[in-house]
Amino acid sequence: MKQNKITLVTSGVLLLIFLCMLFTFQVRQTEVAVVTTFGRYSRSVTEAGFQWRLPWPVQKVYWFDNRLQTFESKIDQLTTGDQISLVISVYLGWRVTNPKLFLESFNGDITKAEQTLEPIARNAKSVLGSYRFGDLVSTNQAELKFDQIEKEMFEAVQAQTKSNYGLTIESLGIKQLNLPDSITTIVFERMKKERETLVSIYQSEGDREGKNIKAKADAAANAIIARANADAETIIGEAEQKAAQFYAQFEKNPELAKFLLDLKAVKQSLKEHASLILGPQTPPFNLLNVATNNSSSSTR
Amino acid sequence: MERNIQPIGVINACALLVAGVISAILARYAGAATGMVGVVFLALGFLVAAVSYFQMRLEERERLEKLEFDELKKSRSASALFTEDAETFTARRSREQFERFFLPIFTALLFLTQAGAAWWLSKTLPKAEPPKLNAATMALALYALFALILFLLGKYSSSLARLEGQRLLRPGAGYLMLGAFMSGLAATSEAATLCDFPKVDLYVAYGLGVVLAFTAVETLVGLVLEIYRPRVKGQAARLLYESRLIGLLGQPRGLITTAAQALDYQFGFKVSDTWIFKFLKEAVLLIILLQLGALFFSTTFVIIDPNEQGLLEHFGRQGGGRATLEPGFHFKWPWPIDKVYRHQTRQIRSFTVGEQPDSDAANERTVLWTKPHFKRGEGESSESPGMLVASRSQTTQTNKNEKPVPANILTVSIPFQYQITNLVDWAYQHSDPDQLLQKLANREVIRYLVNVDMDSIMSDNRLAAAEEIRRRVQERANEAKLGVNIVFAGLQDIHPPLGNKQTQVAASFEQVFSAKQQKQTNILHWQAYAARTIPAAQAKATNIISEAYNTALSKVTLAEGQSARFTNQMAAYQASPSVYTSRTYLETLAQSLAPANKYVLMATNTQDVLNLNLEENIRGDLLNRIVAPPEMNKAATNR
Repeated sequence: MKQNKITLVTSGVLLLIFLCMLFTFQVRQTEVAVVTTFGRYSRSVTEAGFQWRLPWPVQKVYWFDNRLQTFESKIDQLTTGDQISLVISVYLGWRVTNPKLFLESFNGDITKAEQTLEPIARNAKSVLGSYRFGDLVSTNQAELKFDQIEKEMFEAVQAQTKSNYGLTIESLGIKQLNLPDSITTIVFERMKKERETLVSIYQSEGDREGKNIKAKADAAANAIIARANADAETIIGEAEQKAAQFYAQFEKNPELAKFLLDLKAVKQSLKEHASLILGPQTPPFNLLNVATNNSSSSTR
Repeated sequence: MERNIQPIGVINACALLVAGVISAILARYAGAATGMVGVVFLALGFLVAAVSYFQMRLEERERLEKLEFDELKKSRSASALFTEDAETFTARRSREQFERFFLPIFTALLFLTQAGAAWWLSKTLPKAEPPKLNAATMALALYALFALILFLLGKYSSSLARLEGQRLLRPGAGYLMLGAFMSGLAATSEAATLCDFPKVDLYVAYGLGVVLAFTAVETLVGLVLEIYRPRVKGQAARLLYESRLIGLLGQPRGLITTAAQALDYQFGFKVSDTWIFKFLKEAVLLIILLQLGALFFSTTFVIIDPNEQGLLEHFGRQGGGRATLEPGFHFKWPWPIDKVYRHQTRQIRSFTVGEQPDSDAANERTVLWTKPHFKRGEGESSESPGMLVASRSQTTQTNKNEKPVPANILTVSIPFQYQITNLVDWAYQHSDPDQLLQKLANREVIRYLVNVDMDSIMSDNRLAAAEEIRRRVQERANEAKLGVNIVFAGLQDIHPPLGNKQTQVAASFEQVFSAKQQKQTNILHWQAYAARTIPAAQAKATNIISEAYNTALSKVTLAEGQSARFTNQMAAYQASPSVYTSRTYLETLAQSLAPANKYVLMATNTQDVLNLNLEENIRGDLLNRIVAPPEMNKAATNR
């Protein structure tokens, strides 16, 4: 009896749950739903919460995520207005805003929706064709039109998707911006050359500055020496002048002074390795003359 | 015994077929892996039930034939018209043929089917996609219905087989019961899918696949054993295609009874009669219900961990004032009215824009420009294209004919770190906020770099640039309502690209640095020269001056001395002019002529040509030092 009661209660509860499952559904905060009756659209549910329904196969419920989806386009190559190739990809932020239309357009399949967005995004990228490369990459803030280009792409995508897809594009941004491989190599080459130029600039600057410093130092040193030499000349000149005052003394007896100077000169000149050939008249050798006459010995 | 079991056999086979076909469609529609495996069992069950039905018919025919023969025998007992010829019992013969040939072949085929199905499942199950949510409710309902029908049929057939000894009903009944449990399991896994546990379906399917493989092994073993079984006449052959395993699985009660009997046997008393065993047997349902109740009760509260926040949803709606649950204990309405989604918000998350750091190189302690240190996917070139950076030197170039690409390329790897500050925005505004944030950050980095001078960002401007990028990403994230706080953006790893084999860009950048250093070195070298030269010149100048002073001093002093001496000499001269002159003359001559070689020519009146060798005596010094004998000295003087 007791066993039966439990069985009864259990099956009652199970039946209740089963019925709830068949006749109700929930829509989460992050979802919107579309209810169809025998395949025909009957209502959209955009408010989260508890909802009634008729069981399958009468009514069918489709749930869609109503949060912002991010979609990244393929990377493709484009040329700017001044014929420079670029590799670019963009991302889109989009959201299901009209669930009915979204269900009809894509069968409620997000992957399918993104496949449809791909060519649209690609088309929008061709906006680049009317800009120069310098509008995209430039140190000059005034010249840069990066934001404007993005905005134009965004507007192009928005215009395309406004009415027929049941979704709204809310944002667009450039995800990748590169140069194709071949150009990359050229840029590398140029960067390298630039660096090499810098290297030579630095080298010559170093040389120039070094030489400058050297020349300045040399000039300064020379000036100092020259100055010193000049000063020395002055000093010696002054000394000579002073000495001359003393030598004025010689004027008192020029004969003697001359004699003494002659003597001094003789003394100076005979200082070393001198050979003298003297006549017998030269004093004091004239003494010899007297002696030889007396002894009559001959010498060659 | 006399009951005709054929209709039941037909019903069983048909039920299995119908259930099999419908659940095949259902499993395909709902993407239920468990359902798919169930279909395999149902199909096998159908085959087995069909064969056993065929066997039933043969046995029935044989019975009728025997009855007929017995009656004939009774009426014409005396007559020898009917002998027990082999030809007489055609039905029995065909049954025997059936048992001898058809059954082993069928069993072998059955084994092949089972093994093949197990192999197929092992191939397909790993690729199975999670079951579809929108069909789950319907699948659950239908599976539950099948479970009920198959269970009733199976229960009836198995009771009949047990009570009346209808062995031919047993295999079909076993499969029916199994089919019922399978459908039950499929329904449970669908329910699990509804409760956000889509993995359960796959695990259950794996389990059942293993059971199928075991069944195949059992069939094979049975087949082999059958060959070596002693043939005892009169003993009814066991049904080859009947699986004991499936029989057991189909009747879990039987399992318990068997276990109880084993226990009884082991302990020597009737364990199965003890009160506790009886109580357990009675209460087993209640216990299960209590368990379920406890499980349900446990959904009325939630405990949020310290590093988490929870999002409460009431019938899917954001839960009013209690939208986010802070760490701690919280009451809520039971499942499925209130649901809580946990998010680890306090954790610092990070991602990298640009080159992804190579985890293999993470152990290396030095990061060099000229050495690749980023992760490479297979087939990727050694260096992926870096990011475009404007260049001041190039943009100023206004040559219109020649079009250089006025940009530089830098290898960039910028780590970002962030925290979720507003969970509601983070979770409810974006399907993949993490990805969106990364893309935003990527866009901002590109945007920043195209408008900045390469040389400045790589040198003094680095920190300011990092802060600027962080600020811009934060701004963008706020605009997009991401509810995050960007904690950090690091610009450490931004450097010239490695280049390729021919163009070593990074290396050339390093050369610039070395050239800079070289320049500095050069300047310093000449500065040192200057520092050395000028003091040296100054020293030399001082020297010259002091020398000049010396010379001057000595000149003056000398003149002074000479003049003083002259004054004295003059006095002496005036006293006796001729004597003084002769004296000083001879004094000087004697002094001066002492070391000189002297030749005195005595003959002044001769006209001879004198030939004098005035060559200096090389060894004069040496000769002078020799103390010569007086004759020699005289000779020398005379010469």
